[in-house]
Amino acid sequence: MYAPATGKAKPVEEEVITEENVFDRPDETIGFFPKQVLYDLFVSTLILIACCVLSYLSPAPLTEPADPATITYIPRPEWFFFFYEQMLMFFPGYALIGFGAVVVPTIFVGLLFAVPWLDTGPQYSPLRRPFATVIGLLVVVVVVLNMLMAVARIINFPGQ
Amino acid sequence: MIGRIRSQAIDTSRFLTDWMEHRTGIVTMMEHFLYEPVPKRGAWLYTLGSATLFCISLQFLTGILLLFYYVPTTDHAWDSIYYIMEEAYFGTLIRGIHYWSANFLLVFIGLHMAQVFFSGGYKAPRELNWVVGVVLLLLVIVLAFTGYLLRWDQDGFWASVVGMKIGSYSPFVGGATIHFLLGGDVTGPATLSRFFAIHVWLLPAALAPFIGIHLYLLRKHGVFGSEFEYSDRLAKLHERQRLELYESYEENGHEEIGETNLGRRNREERDRRE
Repeated sequence: MYAPATGKAKPVEEEVITEENVFDRPDETIGFFPKQVLYDLFVSTLILIACCVLSYLSPAPLTEPADPATITYIPRPEWFFFFYEQMLMFFPGYALIGFGAVVVPTIFVGLLFAVPWLDTGPQYSPLRRPFATVIGLLVVVVVVLNMLMAVARIINFPGQ
Repeated sequence: MIGRIRSQAIDTSRFLTDWMEHRTGIVTMMEHFLYEPVPKRGAWLYTLGSATLFCISLQFLTGILLLFYYVPTTDHAWDSIYYIMEEAYFGTLIRGIHYWSANFLLVFIGLHMAQVFFSGGYKAPRELNWVVGVVLLLLVIVLAFTGYLLRWDQDGFWASVVGMKIGSYSPFVGGATIHFLLGGDVTGPATLSRFFAIHVWLLPAALAPFIGIHLYLLRKHGVFGSEFEYSDRLAKLHERQRLELYESYEENGHEEIGETNLGRRNREERDRRE
């Protein structure tokens, strides 16, 4: 039985909207099936096609077999660890590397877990909670900048 | 003739549906899951979450297929991957999908997380869904790290050596943890076995239930979306609050606010009194 998505309890006109129930139901809804499922399937299909095409255009890399005896090999992390590797450059030496490599990320992950309890205000819009938005944008900027710096370093000094 | 076949087909499918419903309740469950109303305006934006789920599903499927050929020993790991890439049927495709969907997975997790963060989707009562999401992020990062060593090529090997070296600088627990992960003092056969166990058994087994909890909580509270899904209702709420405020001004009259702000009714009363 296909039932078009309507609200849960009352018809829209009769309902008195209060602070408590304003976020109970969106203004306009679609049924998860079939509309949202179709959108999801569309995106999934694009991803699958992209994966298939890329796996032949740019096959998954496999370098020489590992040789623990080599001493000249320059290891590179995968691209999603670039920002982390680059960040470590700001914590040089044995005194600081433990701090930069472990303590700072641990604090960051702790804060990430705590986000819902650090920002408990009633506002949802990013414009009306500027503190959270600015912090979030700063994190994004720092990660992207570090990534770009790592890429620039690798391009400029391929042998290091 | 066609009419009889049609009615028999309808009867059979109705019987099967009722039979399954009576034994398992699965029809009611499917109805409940499928016809849930979700926000309309940002529907394309909310495909980020399902794209993440799709990439993880691809990881599971292609990962199982790679296990048909992969051998987790230092002698044969690289050779078995070389065989997958060069000889095995669709080996290039299977490993390519595993590699590329892993990259896409991290992209989509980042975008999904940013979307939820900037739209405030983690607010009450959805806090725990955010927490579960962060757990999933960490699990995927560790999966990505452990998968790199399994190739047993120069890139993966030395990147893991460096990663382990960095981990060993952790205060207090670093040495012991890394010793446990390496299975000795240096990266070697024991390390490969342990990374294999972690990448193939431990983390996928941990990932699956957290995905289940993530989806259960999503369905329990409904998709939040973003504030623009509720702008009409918010406008109605603010309009009603504004009217109520004016009414309270009019009822309370002189004491609350200055003479200049008085409502019309009060001004008439004042005139009458004078």
